[in-house]
Amino acid sequence: MSGNTAGTAIQVRGLTRRYGSTTALDDVTVAFEKDVIHGLLGRNGAGKTTLMSIMTAQAWPSEGEVKVFGQTPHENEQVLPKICFVREDQKYPDDALAKHAFKAAADAFANWNWDFANRLIADFRVPEKTKIKKMSRGQKSAVAVIIGLASRAEVTFFDEPYMGLDAVARQLFYDRLLEDYSEHPRTFVLSSHLIDEIAHLIENVVVIDGGRILLDEPVEQLRDRAVTLVGRADAMAELITGREVLHHETMGRIARTTVLGALTEAEQQLVRELDLELQPVSLQQLIVRLTTKRNHNDAVYATDMEVQS
Amino acid sequence: MSAATAEKPHTVQQQSSFARVPAAFRLQFINGSALVWVPLMIFLLAWAIAVGIGFWIDYLAEDRVPTEEPFYTGASQASLWGLAFMAAYAGSHTFPFSMALSYSRRVFTIGAVLAFGAVSVAFGLAFLLGAVLERATNGFGIEGYTFYLPYLTEGPGGIAMAGVFTTLACLTVMQLGFGAVILYKRVGLLRLWLVIIAAAVVILATVMLITQQNAWPQVWQWLVEQSALSLSACLVLVVLAQGVINYLMIRKATPA
Repeated sequence: MSGNTAGTAIQVRGLTRRYGSTTALDDVTVAFEKDVIHGLLGRNGAGKTTLMSIMTAQAWPSEGEVKVFGQTPHENEQVLPKICFVREDQKYPDDALAKHAFKAAADAFANWNWDFANRLIADFRVPEKTKIKKMSRGQKSAVAVIIGLASRAEVTFFDEPYMGLDAVARQLFYDRLLEDYSEHPRTFVLSSHLIDEIAHLIENVVVIDGGRILLDEPVEQLRDRAVTLVGRADAMAELITGREVLHHETMGRIARTTVLGALTEAEQQLVRELDLELQPVSLQQLIVRLTTKRNHNDAVYATDMEVQS
Repeated sequence: MSAATAEKPHTVQQQSSFARVPAAFRLQFINGSALVWVPLMIFLLAWAIAVGIGFWIDYLAEDRVPTEEPFYTGASQASLWGLAFMAAYAGSHTFPFSMALSYSRRVFTIGAVLAFGAVSVAFGLAFLLGAVLERATNGFGIEGYTFYLPYLTEGPGGIAMAGVFTTLACLTVMQLGFGAVILYKRVGLLRLWLVIIAAAVVILATVMLITQQNAWPQVWQWLVEQSALSLSACLVLVVLAQGVINYLMIRKATPA
């Protein structure tokens, strides 16, 4: 669990959301620390948008509770103005131009900053005379990103913000977010299924899978969470005995294995003796391994391990 | 505009729960077209067409004596139905957008109903001015009337009360359009239709009951006896009830 209660922006307890017979969120308990950039990661349909919708009072749970700065956000004008969540599939008034949407946002959010907004409008080259409805996917994402950043809301949610943005625009978004965050620290929750894209931004990782929280840890701790070893298969077998294997693949006599947990001094010595190569595990690899492992345990999917070994 | 807002404090202070109502009101007018220009266009076009047809009929009916055969058009209704659609649109599009701006549903609804109210007052005023103009010109000299309708203008309060009535009628129709969309968002298409069918059944049953009791003459009599004043009194109650029902529905409606 990240953060302490005093510095908690959002506290979620026992949250369950059912749609008919489908359970989108299953007894989720998680906290989002204040003034931290959180990554809410998971596969498509994992429950990311549902969780964000409930945390922002756009939707509500079947069971459980959400507190934002200690208060329930639903119909609460003391808390809601501190939250900004532009959905990935956000609807705008039909004839609205980008400037209309920005004007409305400036009217709604007390911390809205026009200097910053205008800079972002120029950065992202948001067309002035195109109705938002007629904009490309990327241009719509830019409008959403600008509202999210320039509102300077105390808790800002981004739902797959990079959709349709080209590489330059994505980098701009990450740069501007970090710059503004360092000047005006606040809480960000970024949802993504492209983990490496945002890995360098986020300080805390929440992984959601099948409506359940799989992981909630500061990124720093995650780096030591797993390690990949490459080397001769027979030598590998000696080292990994008794360890939890997240992923294993062999190519001829060479094996590549990802194991959970940092290596002890003795193990590191063994790695050198056995002439194995140590490789860091990227956040994306770790999360993919963790989620597929869970699915493997649930006997839902055939994992890479079974297919490849 | 940038300099004034650049140095606002980072933390939002404790504020009234209704502090953002004016902003929610302005939200309905962000691009003007939905609640101002489109309705105005419908109003003027419908009126122009009605007057045009009036002159045409007057031209064709050579033996018509205007003062003996005044005619009345229903063109003023066009704006009402246009506005019902525009209010529905506030439910389907502006409501989801208001969620991105983190308005509570209560503040959004108050802002929307106030905006509908402002538009309705404008419509009532336009109706009133139209009626004054028609009275002054004897229906443009051909006794053709769109607003100066005796049923509404000849009761207590005269033309002014007709303006009040059309304001309330407009607000009723707009809240109906808005409410229908919110109901759809709340319960989905299937149950929306069940509600519509249920309403149709209730109306049908009422008609059948009146017919069975041979009560139509009394019903017509009652309607004829009404004036803009008494109808307005009824509509005040309807408008209030709609406001409450709409809020109860939107309270748990989802934007997506």
